[in-house]
Amino acid sequence: MNKFWIATAAGLLATLVTPMAQAQAAQGAQPIELKGDVKLDKLVMENGREKHVMVAPDVVLPGDKLVFATAYRNSGASAVSNFVVTNPIPAGVMLAADGAAQADVSVDGGKSWGKLTSLTVIGTGGVKRAAQSSDVTHVRWTLPMLAPGATGTVTYRGIVR
Amino acid sequence: MKNTLLSRVAPSAFALIAIGAVVAPGVAHATGVTAGTLIQNTASATYTSGAASGTVTSNTVSIKVDELLNVAVAGLTTTPATAGSGNVVLEYSITNTGNGPEAFKVTVNPAVAGNAFDATVQSIVVDNGNGIYEPGVDMVLAPGAATPLIAADGALKIFVIVSLPATATDGQTSQVRLTADAATGTGTAGTVFAGQGDGGGDAVVGSTTASDNATDTLVASLAVVALAKSALVVDPFGGSQPVPGAVVTYTLTAAVSGSGQATNLHITDIIPVGTTYQAGTLTLDASPLTDLSDTDAGMASSSGIDVNLGTVAGGTSKTVKFNVKIN
Repeated sequence: MNKFWIATAAGLLATLVTPMAQAQAAQGAQPIELKGDVKLDKLVMENGREKHVMVAPDVVLPGDKLVFATAYRNSGASAVSNFVVTNPIPAGVMLAADGAAQADVSVDGGKSWGKLTSLTVIGTGGVKRAAQSSDVTHVRWTLPMLAPGATGTVTYRGIVR
Repeated sequence: MKNTLLSRVAPSAFALIAIGAVVAPGVAHATGVTAGTLIQNTASATYTSGAASGTVTSNTVSIKVDELLNVAVAGLTTTPATAGSGNVVLEYSITNTGNGPEAFKVTVNPAVAGNAFDATVQSIVVDNGNGIYEPGVDMVLAPGAATPLIAADGALKIFVIVSLPATATDGQTSQVRLTADAATGTGTAGTVFAGQGDGGGDAVVGSTTASDNATDTLVASLAVVALAKSALVVDPFGGSQPVPGAVVTYTLTAAVSGSGQATNLHITDIIPVGTTYQAGTLTLDASPLTDLSDTDAGMASSSGIDVNLGTVAGGTSKTVKFNVKIN
């Protein structure tokens, strides 16, 4: 009797779980959570030495250095693939020179992507020039796979224009 | 479901946080983002789950840009302004290098170390936008008063009207310093004026300390007049004795020196008692002048002579002669 019930229960569970997961994806329920955050990279003097501290800014000034972070989590029961986080650079902020060296960036509003060093923009007078970090409009990170429960954070550094 | 068998991607491979890294100085932006601007960051993600794909958007983080107080003052009178007897106009510019509209208090100090003399400040005038000093049109600013608001990255031209003090001598130079202080306040970089920023935030003093100054130079260009008088006597007997009947020729020479010019210069003399002016003998640089007060420069009468030389540049001399007879 006991063995029968366990087997049946396991079978029921197996049949129950799969339709639920499919239903979630089909209905657009979100197994992925994104949480944005921003910190101000502040240089302070401590015992006569400069030290970087990350503080939560209420307000910022031109020239301030910011770190924008987006934490992600797969809270669903199944893995997701082709996980792409896209972050438009806010108006008033430019990407720092070393702000997203390992990420793909766009300098044309998200139409085309690549490493910054491979991109060009049309500069003044219609002359094509190498793109600079200040030209970047979007930054994105691509993860091929996100297992259930997987978490992480993608960040980029910006400067208040 | 097969996907779950794959190893989790290590988040650290994608996180680009480098707390200790020094961010390269930003591209030079004169002003930066306007004070009060909200910086809003939102990320989105796309993914594939089984046969379906999804999109998710993060919360939006929002921070406000404070007002940064910065200013740059420049002296626009690049070659020393030549100051004679009249007023001289010195030009300065005040540029709001902050990121919000700001007024600036203007003070002018003519006492600058190294000055040969200190100019007399007549007035401080705000240009009305055409770049030209227009007395009676441009607004006069009381010393220490604030300019109208200057937009972020905007500039305002200031005219300072000065004159020479009586002690100035030809060729001496003097500097005049104009200082502009942000009306909200000044101080060391980072000084916060809570709630006083444009757009509702704080106002924070920038790297310029929200105060700047510059000097313009003026050079005194004055003239010195030296007058010399001599007499030549010719008596009726062919000698040079000052006897009755002898004719005395007076020669008056005005020598003007210096880099400037003498204006409204007159040579006047009285006819000595016991002598009589000889009509028609008045000359200027050997050219005869009529005795009447008319269109030529001179006039003469029994009481004296008056020759109007007008404006005479430094380095020139003018000679006036006239004859009298000893009674």
